[in-house]
Amino acid sequence: MSLWQKLACAALVLVVLASFAANWLAPAGYAHQYREATDAPPSRTHWLGTDELGRDRFARVLYGTRISLLLAPAAALLSTLLAALIGGIAGYLGGAWKRAAMAVTDLFLSLPWLFLLITARALLPLNVSPLVSVMVTFLLLGLLGWTSAARVLCASAALLRGSDFVRQARAAGINGRRLFWMHVLPNLKPVLFAQFWISIPVFILSEANLGILGLGVAEPMPSWGSLLKELEGLVSVGEEPWKFVPLILLVIVVTSFQILLSRQQEVAA
Amino acid sequence: MADGHTQPLLSAQISVCYAGKPPVLRDVKFEIQRGEVLGLVGQSGSGKSTLAMSILGLLDKKHSHIEGEIDFHDSDLLKLSERELRALRGRAIALVLQSPLSSLNPALKIRTQLKEAWRAHASGSGEDCIHAMRTALQNVSLPADDDFLRKYPSQMSVGQAQRVLIAMAILHRPALLIADEATSALDVITQSEILSLFRELNRSTGMAILYISHDLASVAGICDRIAILHQGAIVECGTTQQIFDDPHHEYTQKLMAAIPRIQSSAGNKTHAATAR
Repeated sequence: MSLWQKLACAALVLVVLASFAANWLAPAGYAHQYREATDAPPSRTHWLGTDELGRDRFARVLYGTRISLLLAPAAALLSTLLAALIGGIAGYLGGAWKRAAMAVTDLFLSLPWLFLLITARALLPLNVSPLVSVMVTFLLLGLLGWTSAARVLCASAALLRGSDFVRQARAAGINGRRLFWMHVLPNLKPVLFAQFWISIPVFILSEANLGILGLGVAEPMPSWGSLLKELEGLVSVGEEPWKFVPLILLVIVVTSFQILLSRQQEVAA
Repeated sequence: MADGHTQPLLSAQISVCYAGKPPVLRDVKFEIQRGEVLGLVGQSGSGKSTLAMSILGLLDKKHSHIEGEIDFHDSDLLKLSERELRALRGRAIALVLQSPLSSLNPALKIRTQLKEAWRAHASGSGEDCIHAMRTALQNVSLPADDDFLRKYPSQMSVGQAQRVLIAMAILHRPALLIADEATSALDVITQSEILSLFRELNRSTGMAILYISHDLASVAGICDRIAILHQGAIVECGTTQQIFDDPHHEYTQKLMAAIPRIQSSAGNKTHAATAR
């Protein structure tokens, strides 16, 4: 493991631990309002100051990080499972099944992904509860983000279908369902894991994009997207640099994921 | 050993062609008697594996066309449904492929792979399964202990992997074993051991073997009869003795001439490097 990979690993561990220790590290809950100190600069009480409603920004960053870091892997898990089912089965069955599944995948891939997310999210009511908004955002990301992974898994399953060990298993009289579950799927694990890992930073960024547009996790619940929304009204970078902390954190986490992904590719190779 | 007066175990007369290509097999006709070891020899691309896959019904039906009939146990294999063929595969007709390490699933332990092959045709208890696995492993001279069953294919030698494949193939005591270039990827010592194992299994269980190879020398030691496949047709078929002593077809003569010979230092006699 290189120095950069160690640093990336340490950064991710630190961020995850801090976000899960939010109850102890933060001075108050993410929705608690300090009405006497709205839009306050950093101080000993509020390390990153407060927002325009008087909510502690440090607390919101910690809780927002927790939500984003739970949401993205959950969405990645859903999309990877869908990709395994759709792409994996289509590649294994081949023929018309493969053509039909890939036609649907091509259709999804040809649509502007972010625009589709925004449209789907905009169709839902804006005044949903924070918990429902988290679920909806997670489901949308997972349900719409399986296509690229499905293509890769389809090609991998088609390769496995023609492999010697699958032919040998067929010659042993093993039926098609068992062939898929016992012989194809276990050998797709490395590809599935890579696709899952690739999807996490993609979904973190997607949620951030939705959040900036006000279509992600609903207030008062914070997420990186809703925290970045605060930058909309920023006039000067130099005046309030602490407002960039969510953005810096986002860049660090996404970069760390990419660095560790390269490590995983090295191990796989 | 073969008994020419009884009804053959398998009788085939087939032609196979792949879409848009010239025929791979042209009216290939042969029989395998019960308990017989038939060698099928031909160079790469002569259609040997296509013949093996045709018998097992594993050719891609969308991209290939088979004509003729393959009679096995009073039924034409070419007329059976996929379900009926699946019931025969592994139970009545088994296959051992060329490359042992790529023919075993790299993600599964040997125990799981043997269990899957057993469960394809049996529904007994876990103990029955373990007993069948251990017996099969002992029959191919492999350790049948838990340590061995816990191994992955990557933790075994090529020879061990080939024996595991053979153990999987004989789990259900099939009447016919198709060995498709089963010793081609092995070193000469392991090849000799596996050939002896095939011979021993044939003698002890009465299982017929269709031994497919491009190497005439390797089939000499175990086959009762040899069929020579050349450009998609069987050009010569006879007992091993006949083929080696009096090859008729030009291609068979070429194959015989290609067998390495060594000059004896004691005299001037030459010896074919065969296992005869």
